[in-house]
Amino acid sequence: MSSQYGKVISFILLERFGEIVEKVGSCLFHYGSSPLLYIKKYTNLPLSQVKEALCILIKYNLVTFVPNKNENIANYSLKCENIFLMLRYPKYIILIKKKFEDEGEVILEEVLLSGFSSASEIIFKSFNRLKEMENKTISEVQLRDVFMALVTAQYLMRIYIPEGNKAVPQLEISEKDKFIFPSIEAIEVKNLIEKNIPLKQESYWTINFDRFHQDLRDKLIISAITKKIDENAGELMKTFLEQMYIRTTAWADTSNPIPIQEVKNVIKKKNSLHVLSAFLDQYINVMEQDYCKMIRKFGEAGGGSYQIYLKDIIIHLVWETIEQIVLEKFDSKAARIFRLIRLKSYIEPEQIQQLAMIPAKEAKRLCYQLLEENFIKVQELRKSSSNSGPTKSFIFFNIQIAQVVRMVLELCYKSLYNVMTRRLSEKNVNKRIIDKKQRVDTIMLGMKVQGATEEQLADIEEMITPPEKELLGKIGKTMKKLNLVELELDDTVFLLELFLRYTYNQILNFINM
Amino acid sequence: MSKIKEPEVGTSGSSVESQITALAQSKPEGISNEDIQSNLLNVTAETWTKSVNKLLKSGLLELFKVNNKLLYKYKDPSKKTVNKGSDNEEKVVYRIIEEAGNKGIWIRDIRFKSNLNMTQLNKVLKSLEAKKAIKAVKSVSASKKKVYMLYDLEPDSSVTGGAWYQDQDFESEFVDVLNQQCQRFLVQKQEEAQKLWGGPLIARNRSYVSAKDVHKFISELGISKVALNVQDIESILYTVVLDNNAERIVSPSGEFLYRAIKSFLPSPGLVKSTCGICPISHRCADSGFVNAKVCTYLTDWLNE
Repeated sequence: MSSQYGKVISFILLERFGEIVEKVGSCLFHYGSSPLLYIKKYTNLPLSQVKEALCILIKYNLVTFVPNKNENIANYSLKCENIFLMLRYPKYIILIKKKFEDEGEVILEEVLLSGFSSASEIIFKSFNRLKEMENKTISEVQLRDVFMALVTAQYLMRIYIPEGNKAVPQLEISEKDKFIFPSIEAIEVKNLIEKNIPLKQESYWTINFDRFHQDLRDKLIISAITKKIDENAGELMKTFLEQMYIRTTAWADTSNPIPIQEVKNVIKKKNSLHVLSAFLDQYINVMEQDYCKMIRKFGEAGGGSYQIYLKDIIIHLVWETIEQIVLEKFDSKAARIFRLIRLKSYIEPEQIQQLAMIPAKEAKRLCYQLLEENFIKVQELRKSSSNSGPTKSFIFFNIQIAQVVRMVLELCYKSLYNVMTRRLSEKNVNKRIIDKKQRVDTIMLGMKVQGATEEQLADIEEMITPPEKELLGKIGKTMKKLNLVELELDDTVFLLELFLRYTYNQILNFINM
Repeated sequence: MSKIKEPEVGTSGSSVESQITALAQSKPEGISNEDIQSNLLNVTAETWTKSVNKLLKSGLLELFKVNNKLLYKYKDPSKKTVNKGSDNEEKVVYRIIEEAGNKGIWIRDIRFKSNLNMTQLNKVLKSLEAKKAIKAVKSVSASKKKVYMLYDLEPDSSVTGGAWYQDQDFESEFVDVLNQQCQRFLVQKQEEAQKLWGGPLIARNRSYVSAKDVHKFISELGISKVALNVQDIESILYTVVLDNNAERIVSPSGEFLYRAIKSFLPSPGLVKSTCGICPISHRCADSGFVNAKVCTYLTDWLNE
């Protein structure tokens, strides 16, 4: 955890929850786990405000607490990972919208907006929102089914309801209890929506980030293979992944063997995949022989079975990302050197010049530039015989990928922070004109409701002069660009975090309780 | 160099001398006193030692000491003759340079081996150079380092750098052009294979090419002034592999095969913003001249 990360976190809190929550949040980030009165002291806020801020943060699962030694006092600590994930919410919503259409989207939005919520509340609110949407007819049962589907697919999970009367309750829920299926009768839903009678068996639900990340990971892998080989290979990988979930936990490094016969049957059933079905064996062969070895043969039994090497794929993708970053940052010659060092593990500068075919001087400059920016490392090996002069040791360049990944991750946080800062400052600089636009818009809306004529509306619209309009358009474009790059930056962060998760088996940024 | 008259081996009338040279020529590893004795049975030791001494003096034979035994070796007179009329220092230096072959030898190493002092050595080298017995060649590995070698030798590629060097300068533009052409050829091959189709595996196998094919293509293009061999093309193709534009596999026959490939990922989000490629990002902070609010890089990018 770095100060850069902390800055991003506090910015997110500031933007979404306001100053007080941000103050409490950054205090927890700086001082680590602390009890209530410490927070009050550090932040200089009135107790009631601190309490309120903590409540909000706990509600959104951004702060967690454990009993102090004195069991009547709780120690609060920040869940930075979850705060960071707020940047990824739009991606989750798009993902669900693709799978479950508008109903799923609205339900997910409700859960995300409230942190956690009871089943009754989710269904009630979603129904009302869907009703307001234009040309949309929705039945209660349909909505219930979508909700159930989200639970079955484990996009939603239960939260623990504290029981007993300890001063500081512990919030733990076992893996098994997380996804217990609720029983919601159709009649109950009807009663709920029409007469606002809560469900008989109330249950509380929150979002299961891990499941979303699993989907995002699969999407990433499939799109990578589609780009490298072709669409059919992407489809094949998709089928492989689907078959993997039947017998393997989602985050295993390698899948259990998948019988090829099963994959064949599934693909045959999908009518759209003629080409793939015809050349299935060849496609499997191509994928197996690919440089990154994504699938490997496990055995011959039952027509052959294959394993997916998820960890290796991710590692390969991360290498490629880093290489591309080097390419963009230092140009193609440097990328060539970087890749050469990767292939040779340890390599002397002279060899680099020869193999990469770069003039000695330039090769040296690029090597030391990469070294300066921490992309490569130097290993010195002393010659035993001579201990003076310029040739007293061999110099080898090498790459420590884990270190590079962490360093690049820092760079991502920094870029994110910069982009967000810039966005805020653009907003502040143009505050006057944005406010004016908003004021005009509200007046227009009000007038429309009152039934004003076209002429009147046009008059009001003219309050914004053409140069102002141009400026507004430019601001809009700027905001769009910054928002987009923010999302794309998060893509990089996601991949790098996946790498760390796989290589260190740490539950980094994916902690869900 | 062979213009200079050959030492009079045959015409001296001494058949003993010619016999000894013939013997020495037949045994390149050298002959010992015993060998001479056993081959020249009817010649007295006194006579043949005289001849041997004469030959040694004229430089046709060389004296070596191996395992405490004296060995005479034959020496080609055509290489030798240049030293006629030169002093001992020149001979020594000449021999050292000769030993270095076409790799050449650095002046400092000559000094160590010959035990001559700097001024003397410089004089000797100058005189040898004037006689066109040796020449100085600039090495590509260190531009200021001169190496000496015999005049009529072609410098080794490690000294000149091979086809990629012109007057000690690496021709990176030439390499870049070749790199692009090789890649173009690979991509072309791959597209042809895709067009023919017949299944992904067959298409892939068709798109592999060997360095020989590329060599032929490049030769026909005629972009190179110098003659390139397959080995040169092989090293160019390796740079294409290093650029992640091709992959290299070993064919069953043991040669390398190359194929154009695509990357897995589009360029990452990090480098789409200016911060990811910013050269001064480490100096960027909330305060100070370099900060995100007024960053010119960001402004330029936003105004694009």
